[in-house]
Amino acid sequence: MERRDFLKISAIAGATAALEGCGNPDHQLIRFVPEEDLLPGIATWKPSICTQCPAGCGMMVRVMQGEAEVIRKGQLGLLKMGLAKKLEGNPAHPISQGKLCPRGQAGLQVTYHPDRIKNPLVREGARGSGQFKEIGWDDAIKQLASQLSTLHTSNPPGGLAFVTGPLRGQRKTILDAFTTSFQGSYAVGAAFLDDSVARAANGASFGHAAPGTVDLANSNYVLSFGADFLGTWNSPVAQNVGFGHMRKGRPGMRGKFVQFEPRISQTGASADEFVAVQPGAEGVLALAIAHVVIAEKRKPLASAGHAGSLIDGWAQGLPDYAPEKVAAQTGVKAETIARIAREAASHDPAVAIIGDSATAQTNGYFNALAVNALNALLGSVGKPGGILFGAGLNAQASKSGPASLELFASQVSSGAAPVKVLLVYNANPIFSAPTAWGVRAALDKIPFIASFASFMDETALLADLILPDSSPLESWLDDVPPSGSAKFVMSVAPPAMAPLHDTRSAPDVLLDVAQRIGGDLAKALPWKTYDEAIQAAFAALYKEKGSKTAKDADEFWSRAKDQGGWWTDEPSATANGASGGRPIKASAAQFDGEASQYPFHFLPFASQLFYDGSLANLPWMQEAPDPLSTVMWGTWLEINPRTAQKLNIQRGDLVEVSSPHGKLQAPALIAPGVAPDVVAMPIGQGHESYTRYASGRGANPISILAPATVEGTGALAWAATRVKLSAVGRSAMILFGGSLTEASPELKHR
Amino acid sequence: MCRFRLSNYLRIAIAVGAVVLGLAILQRVLPAQSADTAAQGQSSDQFTPSHRTISGAIREFFYIRSKPVQPIAYTHKVHLGNGMQCTDCHVGVDQGPDARIPSVNFCMTCHQVIATDKPEIKKLAAYKARGEDIPWQRVYGFEPEAHVKFNHAPHIRAGVDCSVCHGDMRQQTVAERKVDHTMGFCIDCHKQKGASVDCVTCHY
Repeated sequence: MERRDFLKISAIAGATAALEGCGNPDHQLIRFVPEEDLLPGIATWKPSICTQCPAGCGMMVRVMQGEAEVIRKGQLGLLKMGLAKKLEGNPAHPISQGKLCPRGQAGLQVTYHPDRIKNPLVREGARGSGQFKEIGWDDAIKQLASQLSTLHTSNPPGGLAFVTGPLRGQRKTILDAFTTSFQGSYAVGAAFLDDSVARAANGASFGHAAPGTVDLANSNYVLSFGADFLGTWNSPVAQNVGFGHMRKGRPGMRGKFVQFEPRISQTGASADEFVAVQPGAEGVLALAIAHVVIAEKRKPLASAGHAGSLIDGWAQGLPDYAPEKVAAQTGVKAETIARIAREAASHDPAVAIIGDSATAQTNGYFNALAVNALNALLGSVGKPGGILFGAGLNAQASKSGPASLELFASQVSSGAAPVKVLLVYNANPIFSAPTAWGVRAALDKIPFIASFASFMDETALLADLILPDSSPLESWLDDVPPSGSAKFVMSVAPPAMAPLHDTRSAPDVLLDVAQRIGGDLAKALPWKTYDEAIQAAFAALYKEKGSKTAKDADEFWSRAKDQGGWWTDEPSATANGASGGRPIKASAAQFDGEASQYPFHFLPFASQLFYDGSLANLPWMQEAPDPLSTVMWGTWLEINPRTAQKLNIQRGDLVEVSSPHGKLQAPALIAPGVAPDVVAMPIGQGHESYTRYASGRGANPISILAPATVEGTGALAWAATRVKLSAVGRSAMILFGGSLTEASPELKHR
Repeated sequence: MCRFRLSNYLRIAIAVGAVVLGLAILQRVLPAQSADTAAQGQSSDQFTPSHRTISGAIREFFYIRSKPVQPIAYTHKVHLGNGMQCTDCHVGVDQGPDARIPSVNFCMTCHQVIATDKPEIKKLAAYKARGEDIPWQRVYGFEPEAHVKFNHAPHIRAGVDCSVCHGDMRQQTVAERKVDHTMGFCIDCHKQKGASVDCVTCHY
């Protein structure tokens, strides 16, 4: 080859290479016409409400224009739209005060979850087969409306049932309208964790059937009986902010915090003093503390008022509860009881809190009454640093709580409840009920089941019709949080973004159906869309309370939407109006299962990440290490080190846990913070079906629970099950997010 | 056996030819790199390269950018010649980072009635009828590897005319890249105007 030729060829080859690859890239998605006019690259913050647990924290959502891959009219394409990018607490909101817990943060993943149900579905194969056909909304609403219309015409008693999570605000109004219009219908609460025992006890002791708000910020001595108030109990974010103020917000004052429970929870790990107590003996322990306070004349026993009179023996100074007499029963030394009683009585304001497993025993109601009496004695009810009951707080408190799921299931199975149509909203009763309740068999008997689920969970799989709810960030939201602030709070938030998929907000669907059914139901719900309903609620609120800043109802509504709600200082009610009720003697907690056959107390606990299991579908929550154990993506069983040694169980060994009602397997974790005769397991995993991240992962402790009831209420006593353990003989892999710390020598159980 | 002697130039040509052939094969085996999709490398367990293809890497190094092919032959000359301003369409330019290209709805406000017989306008109407937005291909932009966050608004506030960075659009039909936005181009003007040349001004 000649030099000239070489240079020519090089030049041509080089030019070809440079021009290679130009033009339109193929396989580019089509672009839909944008529906909004946003400025790209500039973020706005919009108010919202967190719905990941019942606390009702106010949020801010950062929204920015982005491109989402969506399906419109069956075609995949790109759509420029405002997209929620980050969630934070709303600084102005009295509950969250600018903070947000990890569960709240993960709410973002609900909207963008790849396994969301993207359009209405109708069942094709057998129930539970998971075979569904996509249908349009017109079709879906027609089907639901026709089922309900037919039922409404004949209106047989008990024909309609709702199974829901805790509903507040105008969602509750809509539910109430339906259950009033359909004769004898059932409104069943399926939440595993609820405050029904606290409400009942507070109603009896103080005349306020409400959870109350603990004013931690101003407290000097906190006695918590089993309540994980810094983690999952009641209103965790508000309680964390209050606790922070208690510790560091008052120069020179730090307060003292004592936690009584059979297993160190995340809250227990933050206590100044942790006292292990026998499961079910929390009420007796509270009364022993009260005994010392009364006996040493630190507080007059009459100051406990009506709450004290509900305890048998109070007027005599609680002779049966002298510390020496109850030391064995409670597992707490008499000197410890006496010392703590003296400290609490001499550091006003002192407050006692009870929750979680302490109220989930068969004697949970008694335990709550006992703690209420102690609070009244210490003088903390209705005072700063104690328990506050807002005067107008529970405008929405129903006279009777939701119907019990256990009773509902047994009545449906026996035929006593002739339910024809079941609507499931914000609930997964198959997962959150013990197998012993027979919920699955009961649902089999119901001819038509419609679900508003956003994800194909165990209960949605059994539905005949699915009308997928839009995610909270895509919906109008309103809330009346019952606890977390001394102020009266009514929250409202417009949708932060348009729906990504072909979903509709469940309240909108119910309003549409109500109009189609007509009659008294349509009159009770005269709104076309849910925002009209919320606006009506705010108009009523303006009429009732007025406003210092808004000059009319329209301005009131507009301001409320801008800031995320409306709140006002409320005078706190004292304990009054309570009367009646016979004094109750202490009852020992009953446990299901013979102690000789089933030697261990089984203690399921709410997960910091999955709460009651409804957040297990969120990968951020799966990969977040549990704060105490650092376990990720799995279940574990906490066993005391001495117990493990006796049973020859090591970390990671697969253990079979059997109760009289079922069995499960979980890998063992040696946990020094668990009493020797207690084994503990987090709730949340063990879903048979709940998106790719949670399906078939771990074990569900709820499934093996005994159908025990909290006496005096209808609530499930979920801490009343006994189990036996056996090593399966294999090891399971546990993923740890942090390094394992060996047991600290100071942590000793007797 | 006859001795087959290769000249030096022929040896070089064969070597270069082999490399080009190799690149061409890679190009067919790996998808073509598009100008406006983010570079995603063929990742392995240990290494994720910043460019999808070797030719992509070479092109970026020499600042060779492919010429975008637009779905509709929009002509700036005609629209600006009729008295429109840049900001009539590129509305975001004094408000934020992105100058914005309007959606098909905006074009149709006029072109429902103007020049409806022209083939390009018919294409426009067809997009609108299908409910699709026009898939304009990016003309100006920085590679993701540059980590540049450009914000139009401060430049408009400083009085920089559009033509300084984008050339005289009144002479252009379909938008072409007449000005190369190399870092030197930006720094020269920043130095001249006394604007910040701190790294973090643009790279963050």
